Amino acid sequence: MEVAGLKLVLSHVTAGYPRWSLAADCVFLPGIHLVSGDVGSGKSTLALMMAGLRTPESGTVIREGISQVMLSFQFPEFHVTGLTVAEECRSWGLLSDEIIRSAGIDVTGETPALSLSRGELKRLHLACVLARNYDLLLLDEPFSSLDCAEKEKICRKISSRSSGITVIFTHEQSVFPHVDHIWEILEGRLVDCGNMPGAIEHWQHAPALVKKLTLAGRTPHELTPEGIREAACRTQE
Amino acid sequence: MITFENIRYRLLAIDTLTLSPGITSVIGPNGSGKSTFLKICAGIALPESGTVFVDGRPPRDIAAGYVNEFPDRNIIFSSVKDELASPLRFCRTPCEETDRTVRACAGTMRITDLLDREMQELSGGEKVLVALATACINRPRVLVLDEYDSHLDASRCAWLQSALRVSGAEYIIRCTQQMETAAESNYLLYMEKGKVVHEGTPASVFSRLIDSPFYPISWRWPV
Repeated sequence: MEVAGLKLVLSHVTAGYPRWSLAADCVFLPGIHLVSGDVGSGKSTLALMMAGLRTPESGTVIREGISQVMLSFQFPEFHVTGLTVAEECRSWGLLSDEIIRSAGIDVTGETPALSLSRGELKRLHLACVLARNYDLLLLDEPFSSLDCAEKEKICRKISSRSSGITVIFTHEQSVFPHVDHIWEILEGRLVDCGNMPGAIEHWQHAPALVKKLTLAGRTPHELTPEGIREAACRTQE
Repeated sequence: MITFENIRYRLLAIDTLTLSPGITSVIGPNGSGKSTFLKICAGIALPESGTVFVDGRPPRDIAAGYVNEFPDRNIIFSSVKDELASPLRFCRTPCEETDRTVRACAGTMRITDLLDREMQELSGGEKVLVALATACINRPRVLVLDEYDSHLDASRCAWLQSALRVSGAEYIIRCTQQMETAAESNYLLYMEKGKVVHEGTPASVFSRLIDSPFYPISWRWPV
């Protein structure tokens, strides 16, 4: 169901000064947004400001019509509040059996949460996050440490989010969900590359394969594995 | 050579395996035992049974550098400078030489701009870069890297690939979920449920994974 009127506004926002700097002046509408940027460019800081967990040094962040916000940190261990997997699931108000099944990990409810490998912990954490709907879902490096099969599974789940604003901050180079809009941080500024597929032409952080396909005149219409396959197999017109 | 014989540790079961000098990458599903295997390579964990020898000596007798998969678990000190200096100070390296080496290493690893920062104010990727530099600073013979690339941008990963080759480490053993990175290795191990299921050159291992999501996307769709 499309929720009308959701809007995330970053008005003349700046952060990071004097160590580094980030400026953003833009509007995020419902849909799936991808934000890329180099190490230390301020992606996680931007996510914190969008979630209301960090105050910008100047400017304002306005969450219009947004009542439920979820920020998934890039380090899943920062989310852990339960000693065991079952306690961790309960802390999210969720049933551990269902979450363990959904995460597809070989653990029991009694397994200590912090004894999981980082990939397993990320899977557990994402299963908890994606079990509910949020008006604003901010995912900071959701694909890091996931194995290739799991990345594809999580991407399908994210792609199926039909409402709300989803913002993904990532260095991922291979596996993507459906993406509506692309942004990137360049020289301390959040730059709007535009809607897909046109955005790819302006996207400096585009993955190598996407760049090659575009140069070959076969710009993918979608970043999903199916979209990449379609572009790679497309017959030249 | 690094030789493994009849290793049993937690879910890990490796009957026999030999690694030559160069870059060995380890790939496989989450929970397949990659990190456990790396801990044994670095001498951080000792197998319950079986033997590991690096050129005839146990890993704990060899200078090893190790980067944990949880970036925060690498951190011992609060400032970047102290963190980077720690392997040298633990070996009682004279202060002046330590300072000199810290500056040189930061320059080589392109993190000079982080030297005056506190560890906890760094971004995820920056923490990994400092951990990598700290693992390399004392010129280890064995460098063990657990998913160092999952918080780094593509251009930094590409640059690090060449930096690792000239790091001086004789053996680099790393695990990664980036198959394009795994493809740029001398040797590749594919693990499942604690066992090494496929081993060999990247071309031969990936040829057996062609129907799986682990096959590099750029190989599947050459442009």
